[in-house]
Amino acid sequence: MSDKTKPETPELERRAFLSCLGGALACGAAAAATGVVATEATAAAPATAAGPQPPAIPGYDWTQHRWAFGVDATKCIGCLRCVEACKIENNVPEDAHHFRTWVERYVTLEGEETARIDSQADPVNIAASGSESAYRFADRYKDQKVAKAFFVPKLCNHCTHPACVQVCPTGATYKTEDGAVLIDHTYCIGCQYCVQACPYGARFFNEARNVTEKCTWCYHRITKGLLPACVEVCPVGARVFGDRNDKDSAISKFLRDNQVQVLKRETGNAPNVFYVGIDKDVI
Amino acid sequence: MPRHIVRLLVLMVAFVAVAYGAKRYFTVDSFYEYGHYRGGSVADIASDKPKYKGNANCQPCHAEVFAQWSAGIHNSVDVGKAVKCEVCHGPAGGRDSLGMFVNAATGPDHPNNLKLAIPTDSRQLCTLCHEKMTGRPAQQRQIVVADHAADQQCTLCHNAHSPRLGLVSAASAAPAPPRGDAEQGKAKAEVCAACHGPEGVSVDLPGPTLAGQRADYIVASIKAYAGGARDNPVMSPVAQTLESADADDLAAHFSGLKCESSLAAAPPKPAAICVTCHGANGQSTILAAPNLLGQSKDYLTATIAAYKDGTRKNDMMAGVVKNLSDADAETAAAYYVGASCKRD
Repeated sequence: MSDKTKPETPELERRAFLSCLGGALACGAAAAATGVVATEATAAAPATAAGPQPPAIPGYDWTQHRWAFGVDATKCIGCLRCVEACKIENNVPEDAHHFRTWVERYVTLEGEETARIDSQADPVNIAASGSESAYRFADRYKDQKVAKAFFVPKLCNHCTHPACVQVCPTGATYKTEDGAVLIDHTYCIGCQYCVQACPYGARFFNEARNVTEKCTWCYHRITKGLLPACVEVCPVGARVFGDRNDKDSAISKFLRDNQVQVLKRETGNAPNVFYVGIDKDVI
Repeated sequence: MPRHIVRLLVLMVAFVAVAYGAKRYFTVDSFYEYGHYRGGSVADIASDKPKYKGNANCQPCHAEVFAQWSAGIHNSVDVGKAVKCEVCHGPAGGRDSLGMFVNAATGPDHPNNLKLAIPTDSRQLCTLCHEKMTGRPAQQRQIVVADHAADQQCTLCHNAHSPRLGLVSAASAAPAPPRGDAEQGKAKAEVCAACHGPEGVSVDLPGPTLAGQRADYIVASIKAYAGGARDNPVMSPVAQTLESADADDLAAHFSGLKCESSLAAAPPKPAAICVTCHGANGQSTILAAPNLLGQSKDYLTATIAAYKDGTRKNDMMAGVVKNLSDADAETAAAYYVGASCKRD
């Protein structure tokens, strides 16, 4: 563009036109830069100096924390208290179709090679609990020969490279400094691209509010020094939560003492929920 | 420059200006503060009110039951297990009445305007964790509900806050000293000897052995006969003639008579269920259960049969004997017959 802005023969009309056009484009670009880039620049400028002020959360500085979650499937008893606590804590619709966290059961019968999977949302299990808003596993395999069986709690993985954030057209979902992936419900337009982008099925669409919802690691609790509700109520310590910046935290210890794995590593999302005691069938 | 080109340029500049202005006007200030999102939403989300408030919130007012819980198996911090208060009682912070999302600082809190549930159906609640279930790890205590409890509630035998304890805490299992006077009781006891034996030890007599029985249990039994809760053609009329003080004296007398267990063998399987409350040596471990030592086999089997057919009523015993076959009852009775009274 710059070479076109040097008019050597102004008497040539075409060249004059091109130079004018080039100048106009340069002006436009400059204007756009002040419009779009400048806002980023002004935001970025203090970042190099002192950094923007962290969000106004009383007594909490998000630059000081790096949250992570651990699940020990060898301890989970499938009591589903976490699912109920999550629903209450986060006002999740009380039915069998909307869950921010849920528990899956993997049962391999003798002679079979792949696991049978059911969750609390399975009709048989709903029948056992008697209601869609009460959660209980049915002992449906008691008359069969079971080779292997275990429970796996699932939730949003709060990935380091979240696909859901990448596809959001409005900036309604984002990753915070301290590691949580959150949804700004006032900016969510309900397009559900993120629901489809998530490889873990961790997001659901709330038809009543026309927005997408997901686990926040109980961001309103962890910023007050509390544990997420599901971790708070887990009676067997199958769920672990903590700050990786703190070497003595439960999650640091969990990651140090166990050989952990993440779900669907090959998608490149780099989850921050770490699992112990799951096998090949768990996806 | 040709006019139409100037117009075009003016139009373009105007478009850029309008677009820039609109963007500045419609985008909130905190957008791009930290990234491509509204920075203010972070604090918005963090301002929600937590509903689960944790055990520390319960302890100040419920210290006694909290102490019971913290000493019990439901608080096994060393193995990473703790069934906290809100797991069974629900959260101490209120769920918002408005429903979804609007959960900033609304909703009632316990103890203000929010009563927490005291679970009534312990069969439903306890079995969430303790029902035998495919997939549940072996270290979790599990029961086949029908075999373990029939249709009884768990709380009939278990203290919900500390399930390994009986309904009465271990501290109160030691019998209170008898209130009556043993000397007077001895004089009043002459009438009892016909059925219960001269020294309170019944051998081939219709009544049970009373020597060494818990005083509180003897008093309770006399009152049960007098009041009609228990019925026996011989005992009921006798009990009705006794004053409250008489019962205390008799209890003091009989409980003071020596009767020690000579039982050392391990209980056979059917008797294992009895041991929980009646002790391995026939000496009861909880307040509600009588000592069994010194009783005859006939008396024990007849008592089990009475609980089974409902002629003698006790919720806990009814549940226990429900799944006991006649043969099992015989075996259990035979075991406790071994705990005969050892006299000097």
